[in-house]
Amino acid sequence: MAHPVPESRLVSPDVHCAHLRHKGMYVLTTPDPGEQKHAGTWDATAYWCTQTQKAMGPDGSAANAACCVAGNGRGCCH
Amino acid sequence: MADEPMMPLDESIAGEQVAEVNLPATANPNSPYAWPKERRILSTRVNRIDGPVKVSGRAKYSYDMKRPGMLYGRILRSPHPHARITALDLGPALKMPGVKAAVPIAKVGGKLMYVGDEVAAVAAVTEDQARDAARAIKVEYEILPFLANVEQALQPEAPPVFEGGNVKASQTEEEGSITAGFAAAAHIVEQTYNTQVQTHVSLETHGCMCEWEGEKLTAWVSTQAVHGTREGFATSLGIPQANVRVITEHMGGGFGSKFGPDVQGIACARLAKEAKAPVQLMLDRREEHLAAGNRPSAYAKIKAGVSADGMLTAFEAESWGTGGAGASSGFPLPYIYTFPNRRRVHKDVYINAGQQRAMRAPGHPQGCFITEMLMDELADRVKMDPIEFRIRNLPPQAPNAMWREYFKIGASKFGWDKRHATGDPTPGPIKRGMGCAANRWGGGGRGTQAQCEILPDGGVVVRCGTQDLGVGTRTLIAVIAAETLGLQVKDIKVELGDSNYPFSGGSGGSTTAPAVSPAIRVTVSKVLQELATRVAPAIGVAAADITASGGRVHSKTTPGKGLSWADACKRLQTTPVSVNAGWEPGLSASGSSGVQFAEVSVDIETGIAKVDRILCVQDCGLIVNQLTAESQCIGGMVMGVGYALYEDRILDRNTAMQVNPNMEWYLVPGMSDIPKIDIMLMNQPERGVIGIGEPPTISTAAAIANAVANAIGVRVRSIPLTPQKVLTALEGERAGGTQ
Repeated sequence: MAHPVPESRLVSPDVHCAHLRHKGMYVLTTPDPGEQKHAGTWDATAYWCTQTQKAMGPDGSAANAACCVAGNGRGCCH
Repeated sequence: MADEPMMPLDESIAGEQVAEVNLPATANPNSPYAWPKERRILSTRVNRIDGPVKVSGRAKYSYDMKRPGMLYGRILRSPHPHARITALDLGPALKMPGVKAAVPIAKVGGKLMYVGDEVAAVAAVTEDQARDAARAIKVEYEILPFLANVEQALQPEAPPVFEGGNVKASQTEEEGSITAGFAAAAHIVEQTYNTQVQTHVSLETHGCMCEWEGEKLTAWVSTQAVHGTREGFATSLGIPQANVRVITEHMGGGFGSKFGPDVQGIACARLAKEAKAPVQLMLDRREEHLAAGNRPSAYAKIKAGVSADGMLTAFEAESWGTGGAGASSGFPLPYIYTFPNRRRVHKDVYINAGQQRAMRAPGHPQGCFITEMLMDELADRVKMDPIEFRIRNLPPQAPNAMWREYFKIGASKFGWDKRHATGDPTPGPIKRGMGCAANRWGGGGRGTQAQCEILPDGGVVVRCGTQDLGVGTRTLIAVIAAETLGLQVKDIKVELGDSNYPFSGGSGGSTTAPAVSPAIRVTVSKVLQELATRVAPAIGVAAADITASGGRVHSKTTPGKGLSWADACKRLQTTPVSVNAGWEPGLSASGSSGVQFAEVSVDIETGIAKVDRILCVQDCGLIVNQLTAESQCIGGMVMGVGYALYEDRILDRNTAMQVNPNMEWYLVPGMSDIPKIDIMLMNQPERGVIGIGEPPTISTAAAIANAVANAIGVRVRSIPLTPQKVLTALEGERAGGTQ
């Protein structure tokens, strides 16, 4: 029995810090074919860092998919 | 799709994963585990199997857990909205009576971003000792400039509090031609709308009990994800996941805010390790309001056009909102309705307040309120009935987009034909009105695994590492197992809420029922096949010819040939049959739609609005348990009543301190505020199971706000609809200042 694959479209282990989390990484959804047609583009994702359990990383800067990427110069990223 | 619904896909990241889960919107009738066409228990009203232990107080929530020698943990929180810690001394706390451990959470030199941000934690023998000890911790702060509200943050002279700026603008989203759209408009509405910050107000607060046995940690956590929280503890503490067990036997709500160990969970585990004793650390109500998440505020300045025949032509919006300190505030806009030409830009505004978290249908209630208010304003301009106007401008009807039909069905049931035009002409101070609004949601889940045992004494045990947030998941599992095995619900023992059980994802995004239900159906069907193999020789037919119904295991083709359930299980002698299996496609789907109607009474002398009744028309695919599905609708609408009329996280503009961090002044609906509620659940068994946790809360506030406008003849474009706002709007109307 294959283990379910996480589906986060926002956080990739190849791109982002291993400590970055958001709810979608723990919830296994299937997309609604109608969603794209009705909703437009928007983002309400609440991120947190597993090192602090807060929305800020250990360096005090925000934890999110834009910031917590390789090569960003933040010493806290793994 | 929860909190990450509509970002354009980055193919380098998403790629095949998205293709893997790109499933159809309907179930597969040819699945070997297809839901039965004739349902014996499914879709009926089944009482919660854990109802008796809950109403008698025997159910053990994380808050109720008691362990031998346990200590109580408390957290010291920042009294300042923005400050740097220059000194932190836990020594005085450790000298206090009963104190067994103290740990820092923030670092010296680190910044605190809001009132309530965590500084340090202590554990002591009694809760009072822990509170006293937390107060004894010595902290020196360098007070820094702060932003207490959106208005302050948007000022050009606002201090630069957040790295990268206090405001983050999104890319402009544009479709069609705005110029052509407004040129085609016969009427144009330009207005600004806004919604407040709402907190989750879970009756059981966040928190846990942590107990170490050597290097192994057991944590009883109020969480929406036992497996996810196990991963969170292990990653944060740097220990193997195999050494962590998370248990959530019963839970008092989460609404999207409980998806990991959280700050207090990690602090609790560290305190327990240091004290060499179990520690319980549950937040109090004030901490819940300050630091345990919220629904962001939303503002939208909109210009929209409509043609003379009532067709939407153009939509232009500048929106903004705050998710607190450095967190996003997005929401869908416009919501559902089709504007052929549209442009929108959104700004996240950061302030020094607790950060947002996913909250029951993230973004949707905000987008719904703003869009549905606008829809009524546009309908008024073309002098068209709001429902007729909506039906003209909805997307095409589909199984996951049934609004046209539901508006018609609901209008008939609700008595919409008795609705008067905007402004109740009846004499006297009490004005009545009706409003409506639509909602949509994904609600598709996957990935759950389960185990089922049939025991030689006839017992059936189903284990699943999902969790029951209080919504009836335990009962849902029993219903499906009983239906599949031809037994009664009482015959099934359900064990869940433990990370030692087979994996299931977190309960969010309305995914639990569509993820768990297929897993149970498949697993229990397979264990029945195993039983059939074992008892086929005794019955004298091939195993493939065996089924179970009416408390018997018997031949499908010759039903008279068979054994009672008890006698069949006795044939197992000393060895149970046990199967582990999991979710398969074809038994669940994604995409639900619904509409709601509200009728209100408004006293134009006091400004007090009261909701008299609400009608909810909602689909969720195959209804597993009519009773608990209706409960989800009721809970969602009650939450919507609070969002419409009462709830508001209010920060002092001078101190950024919340002035109502309690349940006395942070108002939630009481019994007398809850209206008559009617529910029309639209069963779509051919679609399989779809989640219903979120959609019923989306459109309640919008329907109520439109009903208030219909009653008093004036629009209050800001929720909550407090008496002050109602009276101000009426006064403005009398002065000729509003439309």
